[in-house]
Amino acid sequence: MPAALTLRFFQRELRNRFAGSFSGGLWALFQPLLQLAVYSFVFVHIFKARLPGMDAPGYVPFLMTALWPWTAFAEAILRSTTAIQENAALIGKVALPREVLVLASVATSFAIHLVGFIAIVLILALLGSRIHLAGLAPAVLLYVPLFALAFGLALICAAVQVFVRDLVQIVAQLLPLLMFGAPVFYDRGLLPERFQGWLDLNPFTFYAEAFHAALLGYGDFSFTRLAVAAGIAILILLAGRWVFRRLDPHFEDFL
Amino acid sequence: MSAPLVLARGLGKAYPKVHRSGDRLRALGRLLLRGEDGDRVSVLQDVDLEIRRGESLGLIGDNGAGKSTLLKLITGVLTPTTGSVAVNGEIGALLELGAGFHPEYTGRDNVVMAAALHGLAGDELRRRLPQIIDFADIGQYIDEPVKHYSSGMVVRLGFAVIAALKPDLLVTDEVLAVGDESFQKKCVKWMKDYLDQGGTLILVSHSMYHVQKLCRQACWLRGGRIEMAGDVFAVTQAYLAYHERKSAALEAPSADVRAGLEFSVTAVSLNGIDGDAPVLLEPSASLCVRAHIRSRDGRVPCLAIGVVRADGTPVYGVSTDMDGIEPQGTGDGAYACELQFADLPLLPGGYTVRVHPLDPEGVRVFDTVERGFVVRGSTREMGLVRLAHRWTCTAPVKSAP
Repeated sequence: MPAALTLRFFQRELRNRFAGSFSGGLWALFQPLLQLAVYSFVFVHIFKARLPGMDAPGYVPFLMTALWPWTAFAEAILRSTTAIQENAALIGKVALPREVLVLASVATSFAIHLVGFIAIVLILALLGSRIHLAGLAPAVLLYVPLFALAFGLALICAAVQVFVRDLVQIVAQLLPLLMFGAPVFYDRGLLPERFQGWLDLNPFTFYAEAFHAALLGYGDFSFTRLAVAAGIAILILLAGRWVFRRLDPHFEDFL
Repeated sequence: MSAPLVLARGLGKAYPKVHRSGDRLRALGRLLLRGEDGDRVSVLQDVDLEIRRGESLGLIGDNGAGKSTLLKLITGVLTPTTGSVAVNGEIGALLELGAGFHPEYTGRDNVVMAAALHGLAGDELRRRLPQIIDFADIGQYIDEPVKHYSSGMVVRLGFAVIAALKPDLLVTDEVLAVGDESFQKKCVKWMKDYLDQGGTLILVSHSMYHVQKLCRQACWLRGGRIEMAGDVFAVTQAYLAYHERKSAALEAPSADVRAGLEFSVTAVSLNGIDGDAPVLLEPSASLCVRAHIRSRDGRVPCLAIGVVRADGTPVYGVSTDMDGIEPQGTGDGAYACELQFADLPLLPGGYTVRVHPLDPEGVRVFDTVERGFVVRGSTREMGLVRLAHRWTCTAPVKSAP
């Protein structure tokens, strides 16, 4: 895939998301702060959410460390589902490798939320939460297989969306289900025993727990599970590419 | 001989029929599982095309004949349903208005993006950007969003990008039509220079003037197939003649009406050829118009014969009573008459012969029958006819450098 072209679309997309909002790029930093404030208020002061265990971290750091990667993941898929459809005018007139459009869209979501993630981790550490700053580098590395997974799913969604226009609505409904089916808002230990195993069917479960382990030292992390997650990510990426390339020649007929 | 720049074999395109939302789902399933889909509407069939470096091809045809589809197949925007097309080189394409410009972005941003799409980036782009903006010549509008542009400005910008890229193959789809006079001239001049420097061009245009000026070959598409391909003059003339016949067919009175006329034309042949197909003539050939007329009450009619150019401009007209003769009776109210033009001085193009019977006094016109003919040839002389001429006070042209 031509890197220069991807970079151009990435820049355009990035500008797209912030252009028109009065605060421009500042919003990228302001949004994590605002969300942090809202979640602390709602979950700590209204719901009085606590994690089990004596040495459990505070609920807000627990929530934030998994919710941020999730936001990147979910937004990447939702936005790139319409990446091909929205560029119909371009596709009808210029020959270009269409994967670039999907890649740029996924990359934009990840870039914005990775910056937000690093910002929020640093803010939490500054505010005195027990965050292992040494875990920040491995946590950022976790974004690599997560990105591959998101890109693979996005390729499938973007290609199918061209044919079935309701897909984006379905995806928008399914993503919250996937979120609540992963230990983002709760810890696996809070579930009844017989349901705990089911969580492993959710591809995001590994990432939520791995982020918790890396940054908070909470829960276990095993390299076997990392290898499995990376394997799944690669498989999904290959499947996504296959579906996309198979449907790609017919986009113009259905757009 | 080098490999052709564009080679298409048995090229065809069909669009899927999708009416209900369920059709889209079924098409998706078929594509994923079997790699093909169901019912299709064919818009282009069996197109064979070979274009070599340095050639220039004009694509002509009615609306919906498949010209744009063919261009999109060549540029790779569309995937062929049947056959194949291969292009050995960089393509610069201007398909329709605003080739892929995004309306929300400024002209400058769009130029950068369009250049990136053609693989131009970094220093190379920075170096050429002023040149592009200069060619487009749209002033401070370059920093305005494209949605505020007039259609002419969009085309200027699109053409400027292509001009800077100097692709191996330039493909343009009816874009010259929207530019103003001076920009059209600029584009035509640029294209001529580009062709002189060995560039290759595929031009879609409804302007036979532009096609004849820029292209040496032409290809006439009709209903998704190649109707005729070859020398630009022969193809464009045949195409114009076809249009002449099409509009004549709309205007011609029906047989019933004509049977009731006092005088009606029963047959016209050109150089002994009956039927509706246009007659092809070499330059300075002779033309013989033979007309048969039926007179209802047996009176001897007058006969007028005229020649008009394809666009309706009269060239010459004459009648029997002007020359003091009358048609010969062939019995039972039928009359025949023959008119000979020797060494027809008409310039190449499509023409029509009109035959009108008049009453014996030569006053009232009763019927009109038209027959088309085409004068072949490729001359750059202008006008309708070649006037006999002779230059004096001249020197021979010095041999070309």
